[in-house]
Amino acid sequence: MARAFKSLLGDDIKNTRTLLHEAIPITGTISSGTYTENNIKTFTHGMFQSTYDYPYLSSSANHIFDVTYGHSSAVSSSEQPGMVQNAKKTNIYNQMAQVLMGYNTSGSVRRFDSDGTLSDLETDKGLMDHCFFLNFTRLLSKDEVKKNSFRLGLYTSGSCESRGAGLVAGAHKGSPEALLTFGDYDAGNEYRTSPAGDYGLIFSASGDSTDNSRSVGLVFYQAGIAVLTSSVFINSAIGFNRTALRPDGSPAGAAVGPESSGWGEFGQPGAGGDTGTDLRDNPAAAGNHKYYNMMRAKVTGTIETLANGFRNRLHNIEFNNTIELNSTIYFCRINHNEFNYSSNPTFVSGSKLVVKNTVNDLPVTYITTVGLYSPDNELMAVAKLSEPIRKDPNTELTLRVRLDY
Amino acid sequence: MAFLDNSGDIILDAVLTDTGRLRLAQGDGSFKISKFALGDDEINYGIYNKDHLSGSAYYDLEVLQTPVLEAFTNNTSNLKSKLVTISRTNVLFMPILKLNNNSAPGGNKYQRHPSLFFARYSDSGVVGGEDAQAADMFDAKFYIAADKDTWLAINYYRRTTDSATQFRSFVNSKPTVGLIQGFTADATGDSALGGSQIRIDQGLDTNQIAASIGMDSDLIETAFIVEMDYRLGRVKPTTNDSVAAVNFIDDDNIASYYLTKKGPGGYINPTPNGIPSATNTLDAGQLLLNPQVFDGPRSNTLQFRIQASQELQQSTYLFTQLGSSEDALLDGSIVGFGDGGDAFLTGKKTYYLDSTVRVVGANTGYRLDIPVRYIKIK
Repeated sequence: MARAFKSLLGDDIKNTRTLLHEAIPITGTISSGTYTENNIKTFTHGMFQSTYDYPYLSSSANHIFDVTYGHSSAVSSSEQPGMVQNAKKTNIYNQMAQVLMGYNTSGSVRRFDSDGTLSDLETDKGLMDHCFFLNFTRLLSKDEVKKNSFRLGLYTSGSCESRGAGLVAGAHKGSPEALLTFGDYDAGNEYRTSPAGDYGLIFSASGDSTDNSRSVGLVFYQAGIAVLTSSVFINSAIGFNRTALRPDGSPAGAAVGPESSGWGEFGQPGAGGDTGTDLRDNPAAAGNHKYYNMMRAKVTGTIETLANGFRNRLHNIEFNNTIELNSTIYFCRINHNEFNYSSNPTFVSGSKLVVKNTVNDLPVTYITTVGLYSPDNELMAVAKLSEPIRKDPNTELTLRVRLDY
Repeated sequence: MAFLDNSGDIILDAVLTDTGRLRLAQGDGSFKISKFALGDDEINYGIYNKDHLSGSAYYDLEVLQTPVLEAFTNNTSNLKSKLVTISRTNVLFMPILKLNNNSAPGGNKYQRHPSLFFARYSDSGVVGGEDAQAADMFDAKFYIAADKDTWLAINYYRRTTDSATQFRSFVNSKPTVGLIQGFTADATGDSALGGSQIRIDQGLDTNQIAASIGMDSDLIETAFIVEMDYRLGRVKPTTNDSVAAVNFIDDDNIASYYLTKKGPGGYINPTPNGIPSATNTLDAGQLLLNPQVFDGPRSNTLQFRIQASQELQQSTYLFTQLGSSEDALLDGSIVGFGDGGDAFLTGKKTYYLDSTVRVVGANTGYRLDIPVRYIKIK
């Protein structure tokens, strides 16, 4: 009996699981100049900003990440007079904290803790009360961010003179060349778990990644979210020894406020207008955070202006994502006496096989396609070979077809 | 779909078909892979040069350079030609499927069970002479009348002076052919009108082997798969209007029928004379009982009709969505002819919709696409 199908036996079907990694590079200019601001989507609610890889009004644009900012409810408005969008910043912080950090034993939202100790003590200097949040879309992070692959380049100080031009090193007093690279160094050896999955500690490349007290943020691998303390934008704190910082991010012993020397400026570029000798100290230009330092920006800036500032200080982001592939492998075993004839109309001419002259010639066929069928003969999956494979009675083949889910 | 890169190692590009994804989404266990088949859709065996002067190593040089397309996700667009397992290697002739159709000019349309393409003659039948085969309207496809009015309009005519119920028959020797009764016969005996059917024969298309030798048993097709658009029609046998049970309807509304029933009321060799060994005899009315299309050994025949779907029978919606229409009385149109007009068609339009019906041999995988036209006059 001629037949076109061959049954797959139990030994012909195997399940397997593989992890696939993709390198994701994001250049800073995508968020600060390549498309001016046309790829940056802002919202009337002002809770976050979305960055696209192309002007977002285009149907070909892909949403790649969001930036937002929040502070914990432990930072009261009385501590920070004139706090703009206090409630929204608190809401953002609490929302992110309850999703990513969960709740402590008393049922309160657990605050972000850069050293990963999960201490509820106010004296824990690892607590991060002012945080930037970088939320990567699933398009980029896929199933999870690969551990010890997250790198973030930031200009933590220096002047942002114009969009796309980056920073002008030394253009402003006290501003050295200040590109810092942060990453989840050592996370391959040490990471923690949370209600949102695994997370690692973020360190400066120049910091000691084995000293958790020097951590400046957290990266949540499965959630695809990086949390960064605002203290990274304080110039004198490069090295990020938290013992030199207050819980709110200000250097221990330093005066709180913009007048404090050695504090890196922060803000969005391009607004212009400040002409004072010490541009950082000019609080008068309402809405202009061009040269405000971080301490002032987080008080007087909206989430949107803080996100603007962060985006324009972004040099690059790199990480590897992880795709978890569950595969079924079908071993299609083709014996020497199988599939040597074809129903291809060109296989015969006047019903005579075109590949044979006589009865004794061996038939030959060429395989280009493997079809996987259900018991009721419906085509469930199809696989194509990149080139035809010759099949005749002298050959046996095993085609290994892998279906990923 | 692009070509696959064939510059390096051989790779295998595998995807789920749309039907596979549908069944996976249904989550009812219907997604199960239990068998495989191999295809060679891109291969043209005509370029296999078995007379190459340099020897057998060069026979398939061009075949092996054939670029291969990426996989289609549409389940019906893949594996149009399958590789076949026949355990012996001494097969020199392979059977094919062929439409048993002799209605082309010069062919014989005098069949008891005609499987002919559409042909219609004027009321006078004078075109080409009384016995000539030239029709006023010939179309290389089967027509399926969606309702009784359409059936009557195409099979009969009414002069402008005739009464509303007066239908004239065409000349007896010039009946309309290739029109399938796509509706359920009523008590008045529509089924007696007969109409066309679709007959597919399996056999060896060669005169190098006598038909009397018969087909090798391992090459005989015993089951057929019919695939067609379920929105448009259903498969039904030649002897009654009970539609066949559908095997599966995929995401593109393509229904698959697995036809194995033999004998009267069935689909394989349903008429006594439609069996392979029957000779091409004439009945008392001088009609061919078992016309053959193969000179060589013959195997089973598949015979079926198509029932128009209720949507086509009751409405013109799908005709306007997927098909076309024309003024029914227009001279030169499908049913109109300029011989005093046809009062029955006055003010009506002819809606028609073209499609194909695919027949696949379940064992050999050989496939045949048959053009059909659903038609409705309203």
